[in-house]
Amino acid sequence: MARPDNIPKIALLILSTAIFLIFSGPMAAQDSSPSHPNLSGMWLIQDPGSGSFGDFMNNIPAPELRPEIVKQNEEAAAHAQQTVFHDLNDHTNCAEGGNIVLMMASSPAMSILQSKNETLIAADSNRSRFIYTDGRPHQDIHSANYHATGFGDSIGYWEGDSFVVDTIGFPNRMCGGRTPYLETPRGGRALPTTHLLEHFHVSADHTMLTITFTWEDPTVFLEPHTYSYNYKFLPGAFPFESEDSQRDAEYQQRLRTSVIAPKQQ
Amino acid sequence: MNRIRSVLLLGACFFLCLLVGAAQSSADHPDFSGYWALRYDSMDVPFASLTTQAAAADKNKQLEHDQLAIRWCDQLGTPAMMADREPLDIEQSPTEIAIVAHPPSSVRYIYTDGRPHPNKDEFDPTTNGNSIGEWEGQTLVVDTVYFNDRGVTMLPGGGVRTTNSHLVERYTLSSDGQRLFVSFTWTDSKVFAKPHTYSYMYYKTKYVGEPRIESCNANDTQRANFLIAGSHTKPTKTP
Repeated sequence: MARPDNIPKIALLILSTAIFLIFSGPMAAQDSSPSHPNLSGMWLIQDPGSGSFGDFMNNIPAPELRPEIVKQNEEAAAHAQQTVFHDLNDHTNCAEGGNIVLMMASSPAMSILQSKNETLIAADSNRSRFIYTDGRPHQDIHSANYHATGFGDSIGYWEGDSFVVDTIGFPNRMCGGRTPYLETPRGGRALPTTHLLEHFHVSADHTMLTITFTWEDPTVFLEPHTYSYNYKFLPGAFPFESEDSQRDAEYQQRLRTSVIAPKQQ
Repeated sequence: MNRIRSVLLLGACFFLCLLVGAAQSSADHPDFSGYWALRYDSMDVPFASLTTQAAAADKNKQLEHDQLAIRWCDQLGTPAMMADREPLDIEQSPTEIAIVAHPPSSVRYIYTDGRPHPNKDEFDPTTNGNSIGEWEGQTLVVDTVYFNDRGVTMLPGGGVRTTNSHLVERYTLSSDGQRLFVSFTWTDSKVFAKPHTYSYMYYKTKYVGEPRIESCNANDTQRANFLIAGSHTKPTKTP
């Protein structure tokens, strides 16, 4: 049994051990990298001033498009008034749509989640866009093993307080969309030859996220096309799950016949 | 005087030890991020104890409901998205966890920022419901409500997901971090005579096959015929 005059020494030993554990535990658990803004949460795109949901995607500086792309757009606009623009039942050699375009004109808010090795971006019921932040390089998009999707292949890294996302590997042909190619705002395209650079920047009060998009592709654009959208933070918000189903004939018809945004309710 | 000093020192030590415990628990939650796959030995699913009404329900009609959801590439929801044989992608941030499955399904979010469930009249029910999580030591306890009855609703072991369903899950990592144990407990007074619990053991995998999300073609007639005309159910309407 400890003698009374040994109690202070024992207590000091316990105290020293406790202090050591307090400071060593949390310090060891800390991430050794500098802290970055946390982009996780729900973000709602802000109307850049068009006043019209249908014109959302167009209220940005126009790109300088190659003449053949301009001509394709004119032909597509002429076809748009017809019943079927392209064969939506043909799923050969095509890719499913991604949500990059949803980031640009979406009434449901966008949900961003940052984990240590990936950043996920989802909107509506569209499953997630994956941005790898573990230092890996791009996949070999010319390999036979690469499967292009509308999301492309994205890697991300921090430059100061900006989160930079580099995306390549878009598909040659899309399945099931209004056009057989992945459209970018104001008549552009995202093709296998396209490179997208995005800069994510959060305001100091964490209420607004600005994403600057730069599309580069000499087969589409005469010069890089750059524009920005702002997204308002929605604290405590939850993602929306669309109940659109392909068994719904009206929904199928909408997919096939309209290039104008559906009527908003 | 020495005795008083000793008591004070011991009291201080006790208080500091409490602080250590708190600091350790807040800094030391496991990180479930990664890819997790089910294997042949991953499931422990007993039969559910159903209410008389649920036991008498038309099983063929339930099966048809689920087969049609799969056939039309609808959002599968929980529990189906948790039981797929392609790896789940679980990504964890300090305030929420996302679970992404390969087949058609919304991303499942588990909010760990301390928020409560929203008011019922402020939340549109979904196939995955609304999930909030809190830590009990090294175990993440997830509480989910506000399911709808769309997608795949039949549950492992019996019963169905309804708008009345309540799910509690417990997520625990093995000591080597290579296995994730998840127990699922469903309660629904209209379906279960007593809470129905089953468990899965997921294996960590390095698999990152592309595409990460399945492309589902509802216009694939061969697939549609297999799912509907090829099953033992008799569809009440054409696929």
